[in-house]
Amino acid sequence: MADMLPPALKPVSPQDWETLIDDFQYGGLRRHKWTSLSPVLLDLALSTILKRDFPLKLHLLLFLEEFSDSFFLEPIFLDRLLDSLRLVIQSPADGFHITLPLKDQFLVSTTSIFISLDIFNKFHIRYAESLVELLLIIVNRPNHGPDRQTRAVACECLRELERFYPCLLSDIAGHLWSLCQNERTHASQSYILLFTLVIHNIVALKSNVSVLNTSVPLVPFNVPQSLLAGGSSNSTNMGLNYKELRRAMAFLLESPQVLTPCGMVEFMAMITPVAISLELQPSMLKVQFFGMVSSYNPILCHVVLMLYLRFVDAFDGQESEIAHRLILMSREAQHYLVFRLLALHWLMGFNELISSGEVKKKKAMAVEMRLSFYPRVFDPLALKALKLDLLAFCSICIESLKSESALDAGKSVDKLFGDGLVSVSAFKWLPPGSTETAVAFRAFREFLIGGSSHSATDPSTIRTLLESTIFNTLQRMLVDMMLEYQRLVPVIVAFIDRLLGCQKHHWLGERLLQTFDENLIPKVKMDYKLVSCFPIFDRIAENNTIPPSRLLELLTKFMVFLVKKHGPDTGLKSWSQGSKVLGVCRTMLMHHHSSRLFCRLSRLLAFSCLYFPDLEVRDNARIYLRMLICIPGKKLRDMLNLGEQFLGISPSPHSSSFFNIQSPLTSHDLKKLRNVSSYVHLERVIPLLVRQSWSLSLSTFGVGNNKPDYLQGITDSESPGEEKDIDGSTDIQILETERIGQPQEPLRVMDSKISEILGTLRRHFSCIPDYRHMPGLKVKIFCTLRFESEPFNRVWGGVNSPASGVDGLDTLPAMYATVLNFSSSAPYGSIASYHIPFLLGEPPRNGYVSGESMPLDIVPVNSGPGEQKSFRAPVTIELEPREPTPGLLDVSIQTNSENGQIIRAQLHGISVGIEDMFLRAIAPPDTPVEAMPGYYSDLFTALWEACGTSSNTGRETFPLKGGKGIAAISGTRSVKLLEVTATSLIRATERYLAPFVVSVIGEPLVNIVKNSGIIRDVSWKDVASDSSPDASTSVSGFDGGPLHLTYFAGEDESESLVSTSKKTMGCFHILIFLPPRFHLLFQLEVCDISTLVQIRTDHWPCLAYIDDYLEALYLA
Amino acid sequence: MSGGCSIRAIWILNSLDSVVFSRRFPVVEKRWQAACKSENENASEESFSYAVYSLLPADSELASAFVERKQREGSARGFGIRVSQSSKGSDSWVDDPITRHIVGLYINKGEEGENNLLWPLILHIKDDSLSSLLLDLPSITGAFMVAHAIGDIISADVTEPEVVVSASPSVGGLLDSLTGSIGISGISSRAKPVAAPVASSVPSNTAVAGAVAADAPKIGSRPLDKDALRTFISSSMPFGTPLDLSYSNIFTIKVNGFSSSDLPPPDLKQPAWKPYLYKGKQRMLFTVHETIHAAMYDRDEIPDNISVSGQINCRAELEGLPDVSFPLTGLNTAHVEGLSFHPCAQVPEHHADKQAVMFSPPLGNFVLMRYQATCSLGPPIKGFYQLSMVSEDKGAFLFKLHLMEGYKAPLTMEFCTVSMPFPRRRVVSFDGTPSIGTVSTTEHSVEWKIVTSGRGLSGRSIEATFPGTVTFAPWQTQRLSSSRSGFGIIADEDSDVETQNSNNVVNIEDFLMDKMSNDLPPADLEEPFCWQAYEYAKVSFKIVGASLSGMSIDPKAVSIYPAVKAPVDFSTQVTSGDYILWNTLGKCPSAAAEKA
Repeated sequence: MADMLPPALKPVSPQDWETLIDDFQYGGLRRHKWTSLSPVLLDLALSTILKRDFPLKLHLLLFLEEFSDSFFLEPIFLDRLLDSLRLVIQSPADGFHITLPLKDQFLVSTTSIFISLDIFNKFHIRYAESLVELLLIIVNRPNHGPDRQTRAVACECLRELERFYPCLLSDIAGHLWSLCQNERTHASQSYILLFTLVIHNIVALKSNVSVLNTSVPLVPFNVPQSLLAGGSSNSTNMGLNYKELRRAMAFLLESPQVLTPCGMVEFMAMITPVAISLELQPSMLKVQFFGMVSSYNPILCHVVLMLYLRFVDAFDGQESEIAHRLILMSREAQHYLVFRLLALHWLMGFNELISSGEVKKKKAMAVEMRLSFYPRVFDPLALKALKLDLLAFCSICIESLKSESALDAGKSVDKLFGDGLVSVSAFKWLPPGSTETAVAFRAFREFLIGGSSHSATDPSTIRTLLESTIFNTLQRMLVDMMLEYQRLVPVIVAFIDRLLGCQKHHWLGERLLQTFDENLIPKVKMDYKLVSCFPIFDRIAENNTIPPSRLLELLTKFMVFLVKKHGPDTGLKSWSQGSKVLGVCRTMLMHHHSSRLFCRLSRLLAFSCLYFPDLEVRDNARIYLRMLICIPGKKLRDMLNLGEQFLGISPSPHSSSFFNIQSPLTSHDLKKLRNVSSYVHLERVIPLLVRQSWSLSLSTFGVGNNKPDYLQGITDSESPGEEKDIDGSTDIQILETERIGQPQEPLRVMDSKISEILGTLRRHFSCIPDYRHMPGLKVKIFCTLRFESEPFNRVWGGVNSPASGVDGLDTLPAMYATVLNFSSSAPYGSIASYHIPFLLGEPPRNGYVSGESMPLDIVPVNSGPGEQKSFRAPVTIELEPREPTPGLLDVSIQTNSENGQIIRAQLHGISVGIEDMFLRAIAPPDTPVEAMPGYYSDLFTALWEACGTSSNTGRETFPLKGGKGIAAISGTRSVKLLEVTATSLIRATERYLAPFVVSVIGEPLVNIVKNSGIIRDVSWKDVASDSSPDASTSVSGFDGGPLHLTYFAGEDESESLVSTSKKTMGCFHILIFLPPRFHLLFQLEVCDISTLVQIRTDHWPCLAYIDDYLEALYLA
Repeated sequence: MSGGCSIRAIWILNSLDSVVFSRRFPVVEKRWQAACKSENENASEESFSYAVYSLLPADSELASAFVERKQREGSARGFGIRVSQSSKGSDSWVDDPITRHIVGLYINKGEEGENNLLWPLILHIKDDSLSSLLLDLPSITGAFMVAHAIGDIISADVTEPEVVVSASPSVGGLLDSLTGSIGISGISSRAKPVAAPVASSVPSNTAVAGAVAADAPKIGSRPLDKDALRTFISSSMPFGTPLDLSYSNIFTIKVNGFSSSDLPPPDLKQPAWKPYLYKGKQRMLFTVHETIHAAMYDRDEIPDNISVSGQINCRAELEGLPDVSFPLTGLNTAHVEGLSFHPCAQVPEHHADKQAVMFSPPLGNFVLMRYQATCSLGPPIKGFYQLSMVSEDKGAFLFKLHLMEGYKAPLTMEFCTVSMPFPRRRVVSFDGTPSIGTVSTTEHSVEWKIVTSGRGLSGRSIEATFPGTVTFAPWQTQRLSSSRSGFGIIADEDSDVETQNSNNVVNIEDFLMDKMSNDLPPADLEEPFCWQAYEYAKVSFKIVGASLSGMSIDPKAVSIYPAVKAPVDFSTQVTSGDYILWNTLGKCPSAAAEKA
């Protein structure tokens, strides 16, 4: 295509050219498709322009100009371009084919193309020279009439060339000057501007040329050597010829009257630096140009301002005149709005300028002018906004002057603020989205922030701001506004948000919120409209610098209000408003430490979940309450945050994983589940004294029968009948009435002592609940649940995100909604499962010493209290034993990991020992506290008797609580000698059996026990009395021993060992109740080095464990 | 060489957001790129580099950037101040009304966003406020001048100031001067009377730097005269640097050219703004044109507010380059606040009570000076307007007006009309008879012609009363298709609150007010306030005979140098701008008085 000759191409129509040009201007693909054709196109274009009757010549020239860089790649085209230009210029204008505008445009376009192509540096110098020469020839005919416009254009072309290649024309400056002086038509502006630029460049490059010298001929034109030698080499720069240049300046300064405003801008831009370089008197310029400030032409005013910027000192004293001009310009309704806005901007910029200089003067000026900044009724809102900015600026000036002089500042700042706002006061009743509102709040911010710019880091401004009257006024205003115009609350919230969002002014927003907390909350009216204030409450709730108590109190009151007002027609409203209250609560939960909220918030939530009429609100309140109580802060916030995700507000680090997994997800990965018990531990708080490894066999025996068969053996013959009655539902009632009718066995003859014993026993048994008819007695086993973070994370992939806070807690995994289920083969009845809402993993420890490597059942006792509580959840297992026997509990866990996986697994079992069955005997509820020791003592005596072999009570039966069941006592006795010192025995007793001790007998023992103070509220007997059980007689030879003070425990011990060899010191009576209705009685006859334990029980199987127990207790 | 004004490119977009005209200036572009290069080289040492996107976008890129901006900013103009919809980095984020005029465009070319304006880039470099930046940039000002000039051409709003010869119609501008003397005709652009600068009518083609953007362009009605535009641009700023923005000069030169008979003055330089010299019968014409803005409240707590903005239009048909001067008589500082002048005027440096103006007049009609003033006479129309809603759809109103009270001949009121606009309600019927004049209704207004043209009111004052009732169609809640810029902070539409509101309101007026103000569209930043929110009557009138500010020119005192015998004609006309009577019983916008 490229080698096709242009004549061979079909003539291109003007329409085609238009399309082509459009394509180029459109860009993208439409332009791209022509790229390969550009040489042909150029060729075609150049020939088309020369055609006689082508209508789009100008357009085509502009096209070539705009896209020259994609056409003129070969020098040959430059030749053609120049030839064409010459041809056009030299043809006489016929007003039709060759018009003056065409000539002008051709000159401009060619110059533009040459400059774009960087003709000097990229092409042979002759191109540039021939163009300049052509232009100079045109220019060199001053005052020639018809082509004056073309001459002006040629001057502009030369100026543009001079601008890009400074000092190009400096050698012929003399000629240009004389041309300039001679030209008298309107083209003189272009001559003047050209000459000014030449002067400017000479001065700027400090070129030593004479501007008077005309020795170098105008044509032929040669590019100055200095330019060819490599741009602005300083070889010839010997210094400026000041005298000549000043003359030239004097000439130029006379000419501005002939310039158009636009020409003036150019002229001033060039003349100002020259004047500075030549050190002309600024007043010369001022006299000449300052008058332009009175022009209504904005660009001329601007020119004066530029001059002012350069010569601030020269205009000293005229600042206020300039300021007044600018204000006037902003008032001229004839102006386009944008110029009025610009004028105000200039004024503000102008103020900032002086501020760097004379602060006080500027401030005084601003204060003096403040009235003229008042917005007017018919000022467009844009103008009002800027005027309010200016007023804000004034108010700052007043504030700062206040400190210096005794100005009545407070009043006038407030007045300024108030007066300014009048112009947009409609914001109070217009819709919140109105422009007036936007302008008003923008003004609030301007007034508030005022001088504290974002870049300044001056801390003093913060203090002054806080103390400023405007801050106080605004605070009051906003509070009143919220009380009066609820529709503005969202706007105020946006206002606060903007302050909060700014690093520099964050504290201001906070401060305002604090004010609202203090002043708004106590004033709000308790009605349904309160809900409109909730957005601001939400912000208050979010801010943790504000104590939440006030807000919570208000919300509680509001909840009460909602509950009270609830009626048939307020259902939806109650729901909506109640939900909103909970929303604020939720915000609080997310942003405050739970401890701060706990009291009031829990009360609020508790109230809501109890009394709120709407079910959903109640439900939510309950959930929040649970969360508040159970889940520690950070995790709680994360959890609450998850919901937010849908609204796209604040992404939480866990969210992605949470939502990627289809939750809830039960893990079926057996590998994962297998080892759960190795890092999730359920442990007894108090470890058992005896490892009951063999207890299993016995308990299986018990479990085999639903009805413990040996129970029959130890109950009276009527008991089985009783049990049958219960199973057989038909005749229950009859039997019951029978029981009620004759509650007691037939009378027997017995002595008073026996009857006393029987009475005591009856009273005692009547307090024992019959588990078959009512909740039985429960045994509690205290445990803790904990798990290790590291293995947990490894398996369940908990929180892997790099901790958002350095706070270690954030990184720990957690288990949610854990349920522990228990089962046992031992006769423990049904065991309730235990729920743990939240548990945090233990932080990894070095070495995993405790817990993991050790077997569960011998966990060191002291490992518990040393640990941090928050990683251990207390678990209480409640058993309702049918028989007091040790056993094993199987434990299974079901829980949720943080990322929504459900974990189900078996944990290690929990051993239940015989000591777990130990309970205190139940005292009748009507027994006074002071009579307790006596009661227990009597009960002990009675049971001791009853369990004795020679018991007279063997045939007696005792009705249980509820009157349906009865029990009989069939006692067994046993003896054990413990070879242990009295001291250690007493200590062990005190430690493990203290609650069960009913009486202490014998003075030495009593003294020791009383001193330690652990065993209290028992009956103390100094000497064994007759009423004491038979064994007590052995203590009769009791030797009190010398009474002595002990200073050291060790000393006392050793001494007592020496002095009171084998004497009996006294004895303990210990009464242990074994659920469901059995008893274990110890009589510990304490001697110095050994103790004899007499044991009696009405549940013989327990003796099997007691032996081991006592050994572990006292001998271990 | 800072301080000049050059333009990189001009785009003109139509209302469909496509570029209908574009012009790039490669020379300015070259300079811009050089500046960017040096700036980036300097900036590279600092931590931030500006990634100046130095290439001009193609038309398609610009158009799409413009559309993108329109979406971002809510409308072609944008919000201007920061609202809830503003996004970071957008124009309205800057929070300054000027951003409705100076816009930023992000050209989507790969990853870099670019503002095709200079200022945001500079804003980053200098840690300075927007204001001082604008002060430093005459380019912006110049660009606005250019944009307005171009906008005028596009909308064919090329008007010359009106000069009135006594009772005869107005006299044309520069071309008429030339056609009178040289005899060229066929130029269609006849001067039209200047539209009264009403505050509510914003210039329809307000342009932004580098691009002419019009919210409601008139281009649709009229094909864009691209040739005229191209010629204008080529002549007024051949290399992108404006030299002369006077359309009439450029157009005349294009059409007329120069002949060898056009000789330059023998001893003086002919100014660039006066390419032709007048030849023919000599005379001078002055017209004082004043526009009255008034906010009449008829309330104790708010004083009425009347202001005059005036200008002296001039036409000097004088041969050669004479200087003209005259004293400004009647120029009392109490009434005239400030004067500004045509660039051709020599302004004495200090204001005095007696001030003389000297100027070398250009050819054709021009505005010699502008001024702001207060009324030296009383308000031409005084009185009150009361409208009270007796039911939801019916209002009773009462006018009581005094016209021309205290006005003496030769002051003549040519016409006077009062209109009650109800832009949001449809007028169904109307009842009542005025004491004088005639009444007509349109769908959304009631018009009361008190003085009709042809029966001017001269040398006497009249009193006019007009009681009546007006009935509207039932109120319908309008869900406005938000064609305008919404400043909405989208309020939580809480039904609870609304029902509460209506329960509490007892007064019917308040109830209606509440109802109507609920869905008021936000006003444009170019408006003084939300007009629709208020009830008012607008008075339009024309007064001739004398100015209301007292501004006047004594024809005998006009002196011309070199002396020449030329008759001087002086006339005045006063028209109403926003002359508003606020409903005394309703809400009204006001501003604090400037006088302490």
